[in-house]
Amino acid sequence: MAVVNLKKRQIECKVVYYGPGRCGKTTNLEYIHKSFKNQVMGEMVSINTDGDRTLFFDFLPMNLGKVRGCDLRVQLYTVPGQVRYSSTRKLVLRGADGLIFVADSLEVRRKKNMLSLIDLQQNLKEYGVSIFKVPLVMQYNKRDLSHENISIMDLKKMEHDLNRQLKVPAFPGSALTGDGVGKALHACMKLVMQAVQSELS
Amino acid sequence: MNNSVSLSGSLDFLNLGELLNLLGTNGSSGMLRVKSSYKAEAGLVYLDKGNPINATNGSLSGMDAIFSLFGWTDGEFEFVQEDPSCEKTINKSRMEIILDGLRLLDEGKIEKLGPKTGASTQDEPAAISGQVPLIKGPLVDYSYVVDEEGFYDGDEIVQEGNHGDWIWVILEGMAEISKQTASGSIEILRIGDGAFLGSVAALISGGRVRTATVKAVGNVQLGMLDSQLLANELANVSADFKSLLNSVDSRLKQVVEMAVKTKENQNNPESYIEGKKQLIKQGHEEERLFIIKNGDAVIARQTDNGYVPLAQLKKGDFFGRIPFLDMGHEPYSAAVFSADNLKLAAVDVKKLESEHQGLSSTLKNIIGHMATSVSVSTMVTCNFQKQKA
Repeated sequence: MAVVNLKKRQIECKVVYYGPGRCGKTTNLEYIHKSFKNQVMGEMVSINTDGDRTLFFDFLPMNLGKVRGCDLRVQLYTVPGQVRYSSTRKLVLRGADGLIFVADSLEVRRKKNMLSLIDLQQNLKEYGVSIFKVPLVMQYNKRDLSHENISIMDLKKMEHDLNRQLKVPAFPGSALTGDGVGKALHACMKLVMQAVQSELS
Repeated sequence: MNNSVSLSGSLDFLNLGELLNLLGTNGSSGMLRVKSSYKAEAGLVYLDKGNPINATNGSLSGMDAIFSLFGWTDGEFEFVQEDPSCEKTINKSRMEIILDGLRLLDEGKIEKLGPKTGASTQDEPAAISGQVPLIKGPLVDYSYVVDEEGFYDGDEIVQEGNHGDWIWVILEGMAEISKQTASGSIEILRIGDGAFLGSVAALISGGRVRTATVKAVGNVQLGMLDSQLLANELANVSADFKSLLNSVDSRLKQVVEMAVKTKENQNNPESYIEGKKQLIKQGHEEERLFIIKNGDAVIARQTDNGYVPLAQLKKGDFFGRIPFLDMGHEPYSAAVFSADNLKLAAVDVKKLESEHQGLSSTLKNIIGHMATSVSVSTMVTCNFQKQKA
Protein backbone atom coordinates (compact mmCIF):
# COMPACT_ATOMS: atom_id res chain seq x y z
CA MET A 1 0.00 0.00 0.00
CA ALA A 2 1.43 3.33 -1.04
CA VAL A 3 2.13 5.63 1.90
CA VAL A 4 1.76 9.37 1.52
CA ASN A 5 4.52 11.08 3.46
CA LEU A 6 3.27 14.59 4.02
CA LYS A 7 6.49 15.76 5.64
CA LYS A 8 8.50 15.10 2.52
CA ARG A 9 5.63 15.42 0.05
CA GLN A 10 6.40 12.02 -1.31
CA ILE A 11 4.36 8.97 -2.07
CA GLU A 12 6.28 5.93 -1.01
CA CYS A 13 5.58 2.72 -2.79
CA LYS A 14 7.06 -0.68 -3.07
CA VAL A 15 8.11 -2.55 -6.19
CA VAL A 16 9.18 -6.16 -5.80
CA TYR A 17 11.19 -8.33 -8.17
CA TYR A 18 9.91 -11.88 -8.01
CA GLY A 19 10.95 -15.01 -9.86
CA PRO A 20 12.57 -18.43 -9.57
CA GLY A 21 16.03 -18.75 -8.01
CA ARG A 22 18.99 -17.73 -10.20
CA CYS A 23 16.69 -16.03 -12.71
CA GLY A 24 18.42 -12.67 -12.40
CA LYS A 25 16.37 -10.67 -9.89
CA THR A 26 19.45 -9.48 -8.03
CA THR A 27 21.30 -8.78 -11.27
CA ASN A 28 18.38 -6.57 -12.28
CA LEU A 29 18.60 -4.61 -9.06
CA GLU A 30 22.36 -4.37 -9.20
CA TYR A 31 22.15 -3.02 -12.73
CA ILE A 32 19.61 -0.39 -11.70
CA HIS A 33 21.67 0.59 -8.68
CA LYS A 34 24.76 0.98 -10.84
CA SER A 35 23.26 2.65 -13.91
CA PHE A 36 20.71 5.02 -12.46
CA LYS A 37 23.00 6.39 -9.73
CA ASN A 38 21.47 9.84 -9.73
CA GLN A 39 18.04 8.42 -8.96
CA VAL A 40 19.19 6.02 -6.26
CA MET A 41 18.93 7.15 -2.67
CA GLY A 42 21.35 5.65 -0.23
CA GLU A 43 23.12 2.35 0.00
CA MET A 44 21.98 -0.95 -1.32
CA VAL A 45 21.20 -3.40 1.46
CA SER A 46 22.17 -6.93 0.61
CA ILE A 47 21.29 -9.90 2.80
CA ASN A 48 22.60 -13.35 2.03
CA THR A 49 19.73 -15.75 2.10
CA ASP A 50 20.24 -19.39 1.31
CA GLY A 51 20.69 -19.81 -2.45
CA ASP A 52 19.70 -16.24 -3.21
CA ARG A 53 20.27 -12.72 -2.05
CA THR A 54 17.69 -10.32 -0.75
CA LEU A 55 18.33 -6.79 -1.95
CA PHE A 56 16.80 -3.48 -1.08
CA PHE A 57 17.29 0.17 -1.92
CA ASP A 58 15.34 3.39 -2.32
CA PHE A 59 14.78 4.82 -5.76
CA LEU A 60 13.51 8.21 -6.88
CA PRO A 61 12.28 7.79 -10.42
CA MET A 62 12.46 10.76 -12.76
CA ASN A 63 10.30 11.72 -15.70
CA LEU A 64 7.22 10.17 -14.16
CA GLY A 65 5.55 13.38 -13.07
CA LYS A 66 3.80 14.04 -9.79
CA VAL A 67 0.62 12.77 -8.20
CA ARG A 68 -1.20 15.57 -6.40
CA GLY A 69 2.03 17.49 -6.05
CA CYS A 70 3.89 14.58 -4.50
CA ASP A 71 6.92 12.84 -5.95
CA LEU A 72 7.02 9.11 -6.19
CA ARG A 73 9.63 7.38 -4.09
CA VAL A 74 10.05 3.70 -4.79
CA GLN A 75 11.50 1.02 -2.56
CA LEU A 76 12.92 -1.73 -4.71
CA TYR A 77 13.15 -5.22 -3.27
CA THR A 78 13.97 -8.72 -4.27
CA VAL A 79 12.48 -11.54 -2.31
CA PRO A 80 13.95 -14.93 -1.44
CA GLY A 81 11.95 -17.70 -3.06
CA GLN A 82 12.38 -20.53 -0.58
CA VAL A 83 9.39 -21.48 1.49
CA ARG A 84 11.24 -21.12 4.77
CA TYR A 85 11.73 -17.36 4.37
CA SER A 86 8.11 -16.65 5.09
CA SER A 87 8.68 -13.68 7.43
CA THR A 88 10.93 -11.92 4.94
CA ARG A 89 8.49 -12.64 2.15
CA LYS A 90 5.62 -11.35 4.22
CA LEU A 91 7.37 -8.06 4.98
CA VAL A 92 8.38 -7.59 1.38
CA LEU A 93 5.24 -8.77 -0.38
CA ARG A 94 2.65 -7.35 1.99
CA GLY A 95 1.57 -4.06 0.62
CA ALA A 96 3.62 -4.37 -2.55
CA ASP A 97 2.37 -1.75 -5.01
CA GLY A 98 3.95 -3.26 -8.08
CA LEU A 99 5.63 -6.48 -9.12
CA ILE A 100 8.10 -7.44 -11.78
CA PHE A 101 8.14 -11.13 -12.48
CA VAL A 102 11.52 -12.14 -13.83
CA ALA A 103 11.32 -15.32 -15.89
CA ASP A 104 14.35 -17.31 -16.95
CA SER A 105 14.62 -17.87 -20.71
CA LEU A 106 16.69 -21.02 -20.31
CA GLU A 107 14.83 -24.04 -21.63
CA VAL A 108 15.71 -26.06 -18.50
CA ARG A 109 14.11 -23.48 -16.21
CA ARG A 110 10.73 -23.62 -17.92
CA LYS A 111 9.04 -25.52 -15.14
CA LYS A 112 10.67 -23.41 -12.42
CA ASN A 113 9.19 -20.26 -13.99
CA MET A 114 5.69 -21.65 -13.91
CA LEU A 115 5.99 -22.93 -10.36
CA SER A 116 7.33 -19.60 -9.19
CA LEU A 117 4.45 -17.72 -10.79
CA ILE A 118 1.94 -19.99 -9.10
CA ASP A 119 3.82 -19.51 -5.87
CA LEU A 120 3.55 -15.75 -6.29
CA GLN A 121 -0.16 -16.00 -6.82
CA GLN A 122 -0.59 -18.08 -3.68
CA ASN A 123 1.56 -15.74 -1.62
CA LEU A 124 -0.35 -12.70 -2.80
CA LYS A 125 -3.60 -14.42 -2.08
CA GLU A 126 -2.53 -14.89 1.53
CA TYR A 127 -2.34 -11.11 1.81
CA GLY A 128 -5.68 -10.71 0.09
CA VAL A 129 -4.25 -9.50 -3.23
CA SER A 130 -5.30 -10.90 -6.59
CA ILE A 131 -2.53 -11.46 -9.11
CA PHE A 132 -4.95 -10.33 -11.79
CA LYS A 133 -5.37 -6.91 -10.19
CA VAL A 134 -1.97 -5.98 -8.81
CA PRO A 135 0.27 -3.89 -11.13
CA LEU A 136 2.49 -6.54 -12.68
CA VAL A 137 4.92 -6.72 -15.59
CA MET A 138 6.99 -9.60 -16.88
CA GLN A 139 10.59 -9.63 -17.87
CA TYR A 140 11.83 -12.52 -20.00
CA ASN A 141 15.40 -12.43 -18.84
CA LYS A 142 18.71 -13.76 -20.20
CA ARG A 143 17.87 -13.10 -23.88
CA ASP A 144 21.58 -12.36 -24.42
CA LEU A 145 22.38 -16.06 -24.09
CA SER A 146 21.15 -16.66 -27.64
CA HIS A 147 24.35 -15.01 -28.91
CA GLU A 148 26.34 -17.65 -27.11
CA ASN A 149 24.58 -20.57 -28.72
CA ILE A 150 22.79 -21.60 -25.57
CA SER A 151 19.32 -22.87 -26.24
CA ILE A 152 16.64 -20.54 -24.90
CA MET A 153 12.88 -20.57 -25.27
CA ASP A 154 11.34 -18.34 -27.91
CA LEU A 155 9.29 -15.42 -26.64
CA LYS A 156 6.05 -16.82 -27.99
CA LYS A 157 6.42 -19.94 -25.93
CA MET A 158 7.19 -18.00 -22.76
CA GLU A 159 4.27 -15.69 -23.39
CA HIS A 160 2.10 -18.77 -23.81
CA ASP A 161 3.44 -20.42 -20.65
CA LEU A 162 3.28 -17.48 -18.32
CA ASN A 163 1.23 -14.62 -19.62
CA ARG A 164 -1.74 -16.26 -21.22
CA GLN A 165 -4.19 -15.70 -18.42
CA LEU A 166 -2.56 -12.61 -16.97
CA LYS A 167 -2.04 -10.61 -20.17
CA VAL A 168 0.30 -8.10 -18.55
CA PRO A 169 2.99 -6.02 -20.29
CA ALA A 170 6.01 -8.23 -20.99
CA PHE A 171 9.54 -7.32 -22.01
CA PRO A 172 12.45 -9.35 -23.27
CA GLY A 173 15.63 -8.33 -21.50
CA SER A 174 19.03 -9.10 -20.18
CA ALA A 175 19.83 -7.98 -16.66
CA LEU A 176 23.51 -8.65 -17.31
CA THR A 177 23.81 -6.23 -20.24
CA GLY A 178 20.98 -4.02 -19.01
CA ASP A 179 18.79 -4.50 -22.08
CA GLY A 180 15.15 -4.02 -21.24
CA VAL A 181 15.79 -3.54 -17.50
CA GLY A 182 14.85 0.12 -17.51
CA LYS A 183 11.87 -0.53 -19.77
CA ALA A 184 10.36 -3.13 -17.49
CA LEU A 185 10.88 -0.98 -14.40
CA HIS A 186 9.45 2.08 -16.12
CA ALA A 187 6.40 0.15 -17.30
CA CYS A 188 5.81 -1.20 -13.82
CA MET A 189 6.11 2.23 -12.24
CA LYS A 190 3.69 3.66 -14.74
CA LEU A 191 1.17 1.01 -13.73
CA VAL A 192 1.85 1.75 -10.06
CA MET A 193 1.38 5.46 -10.73
CA GLN A 194 -1.97 4.81 -12.39
CA ALA A 195 -3.07 2.62 -9.51
CA VAL A 196 -2.05 5.24 -6.94
CA GLN A 197 -3.79 7.94 -8.92
CA SER A 198 -7.05 6.03 -9.22
CA GLU A 199 -6.86 5.22 -5.52
CA LEU A 200 -6.52 8.88 -4.60
CA SER A 201 -9.24 10.20 -6.84
CA MET B 1 9.21 16.38 22.79
CA ASN B 2 6.99 14.88 25.41
CA ASN B 3 7.52 11.59 27.17
CA SER B 4 4.09 10.04 26.85
CA VAL B 5 3.33 7.04 24.69
CA SER B 6 2.74 8.13 21.09
CA LEU B 7 2.04 4.75 19.52
CA SER B 8 1.08 1.41 20.98
CA GLY B 9 -0.50 -1.80 19.84
CA SER B 10 -0.24 -5.52 19.48
CA LEU B 11 2.72 -7.35 17.95
CA ASP B 12 0.60 -9.82 16.06
CA PHE B 13 -0.84 -6.86 14.18
CA LEU B 14 2.49 -5.13 13.52
CA ASN B 15 5.59 -7.25 14.05
CA LEU B 16 8.96 -5.77 14.92
CA GLY B 17 10.06 -5.63 11.27
CA GLU B 18 6.97 -3.76 10.16
CA LEU B 19 7.14 -1.53 13.20
CA LEU B 20 10.75 -0.49 12.57
CA ASN B 21 9.84 0.10 8.95
CA LEU B 22 6.94 2.33 9.94
CA LEU B 23 8.88 4.33 12.56
CA GLY B 24 11.74 4.56 10.08
CA THR B 25 9.67 6.08 7.28
CA ASN B 26 8.27 8.49 9.80
CA GLY B 27 11.78 9.48 10.96
CA SER B 28 10.81 9.09 14.62
CA SER B 29 13.22 9.42 17.55
CA GLY B 30 12.55 7.76 20.87
CA MET B 31 12.27 4.47 22.67
CA LEU B 32 10.35 1.42 21.49
CA ARG B 33 9.33 -0.89 24.32
CA VAL B 34 8.39 -4.44 23.36
CA LYS B 35 6.61 -6.70 25.83
CA SER B 36 6.11 -10.41 25.34
CA SER B 37 3.56 -12.44 27.25
CA TYR B 38 6.27 -15.05 27.70
CA LYS B 39 8.95 -12.88 29.23
CA ALA B 40 8.89 -10.79 32.41
CA GLU B 41 11.28 -8.10 31.24
CA ALA B 42 10.55 -5.80 28.32
CA GLY B 43 12.91 -5.34 25.37
CA LEU B 44 13.96 -1.83 24.39
CA VAL B 45 15.01 -0.36 21.06
CA TYR B 46 16.30 3.22 20.82
CA LEU B 47 15.77 5.12 17.61
CA ASP B 48 17.33 8.28 16.28
CA LYS B 49 15.53 9.85 13.31
CA GLY B 50 14.07 6.49 12.39
CA ASN B 51 17.26 4.48 12.67
CA PRO B 52 17.89 2.01 15.50
CA ILE B 53 20.96 3.08 17.49
CA ASN B 54 20.85 0.77 20.49
CA ALA B 55 18.77 -1.99 22.04
CA THR B 56 18.58 -4.09 25.18
CA ASN B 57 16.93 -7.40 25.94
CA GLY B 58 17.80 -8.81 29.37
CA SER B 59 21.55 -9.29 29.40
CA LEU B 60 21.87 -8.71 25.65
CA SER B 61 22.54 -5.35 24.09
CA GLY B 62 23.14 -3.80 20.68
CA MET B 63 22.63 -5.93 17.56
CA ASP B 64 22.21 -9.19 19.50
CA ALA B 65 19.39 -7.66 21.49
CA ILE B 66 17.55 -6.24 18.50
CA PHE B 67 17.79 -9.51 16.58
CA SER B 68 16.51 -11.51 19.56
CA LEU B 69 13.44 -9.28 19.70
CA PHE B 70 12.38 -10.43 16.23
CA GLY B 71 11.35 -13.69 17.92
CA TRP B 72 8.70 -11.90 19.96
CA THR B 73 5.63 -12.28 17.84
CA ASP B 74 3.04 -12.40 20.57
CA GLY B 75 2.81 -9.36 22.80
CA GLU B 76 2.52 -5.60 22.95
CA PHE B 77 4.58 -2.61 21.91
CA GLU B 78 4.64 1.05 22.78
CA PHE B 79 6.67 3.89 21.39
CA VAL B 80 7.67 6.88 23.49
CA GLN B 81 8.90 9.96 21.71
CA GLU B 82 12.03 11.45 23.29
CA ASP B 83 15.42 12.85 22.42
CA PRO B 84 17.97 10.14 21.85
CA SER B 85 20.19 10.04 24.93
CA CYS B 86 21.93 6.70 24.76
CA GLU B 87 25.17 5.76 23.11
CA LYS B 88 25.08 4.59 19.49
CA THR B 89 26.18 0.96 19.26
CA ILE B 90 24.28 -0.10 16.16
CA ASN B 91 25.72 1.00 12.87
CA LYS B 92 23.77 -1.12 10.43
CA SER B 93 21.09 0.55 8.34
CA ARG B 94 17.47 0.13 9.26
CA MET B 95 16.45 -1.98 6.29
CA GLU B 96 19.46 -4.21 6.73
CA ILE B 97 18.47 -4.90 10.34
CA ILE B 98 14.89 -5.64 9.36
CA LEU B 99 15.70 -7.95 6.47
CA ASP B 100 18.52 -9.69 8.31
CA GLY B 101 16.41 -10.09 11.45
CA LEU B 102 13.60 -11.70 9.49
CA ARG B 103 16.06 -13.94 7.68
CA LEU B 104 17.51 -15.16 10.99
CA LEU B 105 14.00 -15.74 12.28
CA ASP B 106 13.09 -17.75 9.19
CA GLU B 107 16.27 -19.75 9.38
CA GLY B 108 15.42 -20.66 12.96
CA LYS B 109 18.45 -18.85 14.39
CA ILE B 110 16.30 -16.64 16.60
CA GLU B 111 14.29 -18.19 19.39
CA LYS B 112 10.60 -17.68 18.87
CA LEU B 113 8.72 -16.90 22.07
CA GLY B 114 5.25 -18.20 22.67
CA PRO B 115 3.08 -20.75 20.92
CA LYS B 116 3.18 -20.76 17.16
CA THR B 117 0.16 -19.23 15.57
CA GLY B 118 -0.49 -20.28 12.01
CA ALA B 119 -4.17 -20.27 11.28
CA SER B 120 -4.63 -20.77 7.58
CA THR B 121 -7.07 -18.54 5.82
CA GLN B 122 -9.23 -19.83 3.07
CA ASP B 123 -10.98 -17.60 0.66
CA GLU B 124 -14.47 -18.24 -0.55
CA PRO B 125 -13.68 -19.40 -4.09
CA ALA B 126 -17.09 -19.32 -5.64
CA ALA B 127 -18.46 -16.24 -7.28
CA ILE B 128 -22.14 -15.86 -7.92
CA SER B 129 -23.15 -14.90 -11.43
CA GLY B 130 -26.88 -14.46 -11.65
CA GLN B 131 -28.68 -17.63 -10.67
CA VAL B 132 -26.03 -20.23 -11.37
CA PRO B 133 -22.84 -20.14 -9.32
CA LEU B 134 -19.52 -19.95 -11.17
CA ILE B 135 -16.40 -21.67 -9.89
CA LYS B 136 -13.02 -20.43 -10.99
CA GLY B 137 -9.71 -22.06 -10.24
CA PRO B 138 -6.15 -20.93 -9.53
CA LEU B 139 -3.48 -20.31 -12.17
CA VAL B 140 -2.88 -23.25 -14.46
CA ASP B 141 0.40 -25.13 -14.27
CA TYR B 142 1.07 -25.58 -17.97
CA SER B 143 3.64 -28.29 -17.46
CA TYR B 144 0.73 -30.68 -16.86
CA VAL B 145 -1.10 -29.71 -20.03
CA VAL B 146 -0.37 -32.17 -22.85
CA ASP B 147 -2.85 -31.05 -25.45
CA GLU B 148 -5.31 -28.26 -26.11
CA GLU B 149 -8.80 -28.37 -27.54
CA GLY B 150 -11.19 -25.62 -28.55
CA PHE B 151 -14.96 -25.75 -28.29
CA TYR B 152 -17.55 -23.34 -29.65
CA ASP B 153 -20.56 -21.95 -27.84
CA GLY B 154 -23.09 -24.71 -27.12
CA ASP B 155 -20.72 -27.58 -28.00
CA GLU B 156 -21.05 -30.61 -25.80
CA ILE B 157 -17.69 -31.33 -24.19
CA VAL B 158 -18.78 -34.31 -22.14
CA GLN B 159 -22.04 -36.21 -22.30
CA GLU B 160 -23.57 -37.79 -19.25
CA GLY B 161 -23.43 -41.59 -19.49
CA ASN B 162 -20.44 -41.69 -21.83
CA HIS B 163 -17.20 -43.29 -20.80
CA GLY B 164 -13.97 -41.43 -20.30
CA ASP B 165 -11.42 -40.58 -17.69
CA TRP B 166 -9.58 -37.54 -19.04
CA ILE B 167 -9.31 -34.52 -16.86
CA TRP B 168 -9.33 -31.10 -18.49
CA VAL B 169 -8.57 -27.71 -17.12
CA ILE B 170 -10.28 -24.63 -18.53
CA LEU B 171 -7.63 -22.34 -20.01
CA GLU B 172 -10.06 -19.71 -21.20
CA GLY B 173 -13.83 -19.43 -21.19
CA MET B 174 -16.72 -20.94 -19.31
CA ALA B 175 -18.64 -24.22 -19.27
CA GLU B 176 -21.97 -25.26 -17.87
CA ILE B 177 -22.45 -28.47 -15.90
CA SER B 178 -25.88 -30.01 -16.10
CA LYS B 179 -27.73 -33.23 -15.31
CA GLN B 180 -30.17 -34.93 -17.66
CA THR B 181 -33.56 -35.89 -16.28
CA ALA B 182 -36.79 -37.19 -17.75
CA SER B 183 -38.14 -33.66 -17.89
CA GLY B 184 -35.10 -32.07 -19.49
CA SER B 185 -31.73 -30.87 -18.28
CA ILE B 186 -31.04 -29.07 -15.03
CA GLU B 187 -28.14 -26.63 -14.90
CA ILE B 188 -26.21 -27.13 -11.68
CA LEU B 189 -23.28 -24.76 -11.92
CA ARG B 190 -20.74 -23.13 -14.21
CA ILE B 191 -17.00 -23.39 -14.17
CA GLY B 192 -14.48 -20.87 -15.51
CA ASP B 193 -10.75 -20.30 -16.00
CA GLY B 194 -8.55 -22.63 -13.99
CA ALA B 195 -11.40 -24.98 -13.00
CA PHE B 196 -11.17 -28.71 -13.67
CA LEU B 197 -13.45 -31.01 -15.55
CA GLY B 198 -13.46 -34.75 -14.89
CA SER B 199 -13.01 -36.94 -11.87
CA VAL B 200 -9.81 -37.75 -10.08
CA ALA B 201 -11.42 -40.91 -8.73
CA ALA B 202 -11.55 -42.19 -12.31
CA LEU B 203 -7.76 -42.19 -12.32
CA ILE B 204 -7.66 -44.29 -9.17
CA SER B 205 -10.21 -46.92 -10.02
CA GLY B 206 -10.34 -46.48 -13.80
CA GLY B 207 -13.10 -46.77 -16.43
CA ARG B 208 -15.60 -44.31 -15.12
CA VAL B 209 -18.88 -43.22 -16.59
CA ARG B 210 -19.36 -39.48 -16.91
CA THR B 211 -21.94 -38.38 -14.37
CA ALA B 212 -22.87 -35.02 -15.83
CA THR B 213 -23.04 -33.19 -19.12
CA VAL B 214 -20.69 -30.30 -19.78
CA LYS B 215 -21.40 -27.70 -22.45
CA ALA B 216 -19.35 -24.75 -23.63
CA VAL B 217 -20.79 -21.32 -22.82
CA GLY B 218 -19.18 -19.06 -25.38
CA ASN B 219 -15.92 -20.27 -26.86
CA VAL B 220 -13.85 -22.38 -24.55
CA GLN B 221 -10.23 -23.43 -24.69
CA LEU B 222 -9.44 -26.57 -22.71
CA GLY B 223 -6.13 -28.07 -21.71
CA MET B 224 -5.98 -31.84 -21.40
CA LEU B 225 -3.99 -32.85 -18.34
CA ASP B 226 -1.27 -35.46 -18.45
CA SER B 227 -3.20 -38.36 -16.96
CA GLN B 228 -0.13 -40.56 -16.97
CA LEU B 229 1.68 -38.09 -14.75
CA LEU B 230 -1.32 -37.70 -12.44
CA ALA B 231 -1.94 -41.45 -12.29
CA ASN B 232 1.72 -42.04 -11.42
CA GLU B 233 1.53 -39.53 -8.64
CA LEU B 234 -1.69 -41.03 -7.33
CA ALA B 235 -0.17 -44.49 -7.43
CA ASN B 236 2.28 -43.35 -4.78
CA VAL B 237 -0.23 -42.09 -2.23
CA SER B 238 -1.41 -44.33 0.60
CA ALA B 239 -4.53 -46.47 0.40
CA ASP B 240 -6.16 -44.27 3.06
CA PHE B 241 -5.59 -41.13 0.99
CA LYS B 242 -7.04 -42.85 -2.08
CA SER B 243 -10.17 -43.88 -0.20
CA LEU B 244 -10.51 -40.32 1.08
CA LEU B 245 -10.41 -39.01 -2.49
CA ASN B 246 -12.93 -41.64 -3.59
CA SER B 247 -15.17 -40.72 -0.69
CA VAL B 248 -15.07 -36.99 -1.49
CA ASP B 249 -15.71 -37.77 -5.15
CA SER B 250 -18.70 -39.94 -4.31
CA ARG B 251 -19.99 -37.25 -1.99
CA LEU B 252 -19.82 -34.71 -4.82
CA LYS B 253 -21.82 -37.02 -7.07
CA GLN B 254 -24.40 -37.59 -4.36
CA VAL B 255 -24.83 -33.91 -3.61
CA VAL B 256 -25.44 -33.26 -7.30
CA GLU B 257 -27.97 -36.14 -7.39
CA MET B 258 -29.67 -34.61 -4.37
CA ALA B 259 -29.83 -31.26 -6.13
CA VAL B 260 -31.62 -32.93 -9.05
CA LYS B 261 -34.01 -34.84 -6.80
CA THR B 262 -34.79 -31.71 -4.83
CA LYS B 263 -35.44 -29.72 -7.98
CA GLU B 264 -37.62 -32.51 -9.41
CA ASN B 265 -39.49 -32.71 -6.13
CA GLN B 266 -38.82 -36.41 -5.73
CA ASN B 267 -37.27 -36.08 -2.35
CA ASN B 268 -38.71 -36.47 1.08
CA PRO B 269 -36.01 -34.89 3.24
CA GLU B 270 -37.42 -36.39 6.41
CA SER B 271 -37.09 -39.96 5.16
CA TYR B 272 -33.31 -39.76 5.11
CA ILE B 273 -32.83 -38.90 8.75
CA GLU B 274 -35.85 -40.71 10.15
CA GLY B 275 -34.89 -43.13 12.91
CA LYS B 276 -31.28 -41.97 12.88
CA LYS B 277 -29.54 -40.28 15.73
CA GLN B 278 -27.50 -37.13 15.41
CA LEU B 279 -23.81 -37.94 15.70
CA ILE B 280 -22.26 -34.55 14.93
CA LYS B 281 -24.34 -31.47 15.46
CA GLN B 282 -24.04 -28.69 12.88
CA GLY B 283 -21.60 -26.04 14.09
CA HIS B 284 -20.29 -28.36 16.79
CA GLU B 285 -16.54 -28.48 17.47
CA GLU B 286 -15.20 -31.74 16.09
CA GLU B 287 -11.50 -32.14 15.42
CA ARG B 288 -11.47 -35.79 14.41
CA LEU B 289 -11.93 -37.54 11.10
CA PHE B 290 -13.66 -40.93 10.95
CA ILE B 291 -13.91 -43.77 8.49
CA ILE B 292 -17.03 -45.93 8.42
CA LYS B 293 -16.23 -49.58 9.04
CA ASN B 294 -19.79 -50.73 8.85
CA GLY B 295 -23.30 -49.30 8.55
CA ASP B 296 -24.74 -46.06 7.16
CA ALA B 297 -24.69 -42.38 7.92
CA VAL B 298 -26.34 -39.33 6.39
CA ILE B 299 -24.97 -35.82 5.93
CA ALA B 300 -27.61 -33.10 6.10
CA ARG B 301 -27.54 -29.34 6.39
CA GLN B 302 -29.86 -27.59 8.77
CA THR B 303 -31.56 -24.65 7.04
CA ASP B 304 -34.55 -22.43 7.69
CA ASN B 305 -36.56 -24.91 5.66
CA GLY B 306 -35.57 -27.92 7.74
CA TYR B 307 -32.81 -30.42 7.13
CA VAL B 308 -31.58 -30.77 3.55
CA PRO B 309 -30.08 -34.22 2.99
CA LEU B 310 -26.79 -34.07 1.09
CA ALA B 311 -25.21 -37.49 0.99
CA GLN B 312 -25.60 -41.02 2.23
CA LEU B 313 -22.37 -42.53 3.46
CA LYS B 314 -21.50 -46.20 3.38
CA LYS B 315 -18.70 -48.47 4.45
CA GLY B 316 -15.34 -46.94 3.50
CA ASP B 317 -16.61 -43.33 3.48
CA PHE B 318 -15.08 -40.60 5.58
CA PHE B 319 -16.67 -37.90 7.68
CA GLY B 320 -15.53 -35.31 10.22
CA ARG B 321 -13.07 -32.47 9.87
CA ILE B 322 -10.50 -32.58 7.07
CA PRO B 323 -8.13 -29.70 7.90
CA PHE B 324 -6.79 -29.33 4.34
CA LEU B 325 -10.10 -29.60 2.49
CA ASP B 326 -13.11 -27.38 2.91
CA MET B 327 -16.25 -29.01 1.55
CA GLY B 328 -18.58 -26.67 3.43
CA HIS B 329 -20.09 -29.68 5.22
CA GLU B 330 -19.64 -31.14 8.70
CA PRO B 331 -18.70 -30.19 11.33
CA TYR B 332 -19.35 -26.46 10.77
CA SER B 333 -22.05 -26.35 8.13
CA ALA B 334 -23.74 -29.74 8.20
CA ALA B 335 -24.78 -32.42 10.65
CA VAL B 336 -24.07 -36.15 10.58
CA PHE B 337 -26.81 -38.67 11.37
CA SER B 338 -26.05 -42.30 12.02
CA ALA B 339 -27.99 -45.55 11.84
CA ASP B 340 -27.82 -47.94 14.78
CA ASN B 341 -25.50 -50.35 13.00
CA LEU B 342 -22.76 -47.75 12.48
CA LYS B 343 -19.19 -48.76 13.32
CA LEU B 344 -16.41 -46.17 13.12
CA ALA B 345 -12.67 -45.85 13.36
CA ALA B 346 -10.74 -42.61 13.86
CA VAL B 347 -8.28 -41.72 11.08
CA ASP B 348 -4.77 -40.31 11.48
CA VAL B 349 -5.43 -36.86 10.03
CA LYS B 350 -1.84 -35.69 10.49
CA LYS B 351 -0.60 -38.39 8.17
CA LEU B 352 -3.15 -37.52 5.48
CA GLU B 353 -2.37 -33.84 5.88
CA SER B 354 1.35 -34.31 5.37
CA GLU B 355 0.63 -36.53 2.39
CA HIS B 356 -1.55 -33.78 0.92
CA GLN B 357 1.24 -31.29 1.57
CA GLY B 358 3.59 -33.37 -0.56
CA LEU B 359 1.36 -33.51 -3.65
CA SER B 360 2.04 -31.51 -6.79
CA SER B 361 0.25 -28.19 -7.04
CA THR B 362 -1.91 -29.45 -9.91
CA LEU B 363 -3.17 -32.41 -7.93
CA LYS B 364 -3.76 -30.21 -4.91
CA ASN B 365 -5.73 -27.85 -7.12
CA ILE B 366 -7.84 -30.68 -8.53
CA ILE B 367 -8.64 -31.93 -5.04
CA GLY B 368 -9.35 -28.40 -3.85
CA HIS B 369 -11.64 -27.87 -6.82
CA MET B 370 -13.50 -31.07 -5.96
CA ALA B 371 -14.09 -29.82 -2.41
CA THR B 372 -15.21 -26.41 -3.69
CA SER B 373 -17.63 -28.13 -6.05
CA VAL B 374 -19.11 -30.06 -3.12
CA SER B 375 -19.54 -26.81 -1.26
CA VAL B 376 -21.12 -24.98 -4.18
CA SER B 377 -23.38 -27.89 -5.18
CA THR B 378 -24.57 -28.00 -1.58
CA MET B 379 -25.49 -24.34 -1.82
CA VAL B 380 -27.35 -25.08 -5.06
CA THR B 381 -29.25 -27.95 -3.42
CA CYS B 382 -30.23 -25.75 -0.48
CA ASN B 383 -31.38 -23.03 -2.87
CA PHE B 384 -33.57 -25.53 -4.74
CA GLN B 385 -35.08 -26.56 -1.41
CA LYS B 386 -35.71 -22.92 -0.57
CA GLN B 387 -37.44 -22.26 -3.89
CA LYS B 388 -39.71 -25.19 -3.19
CA ALA B 389 -40.64 -23.94 0.27
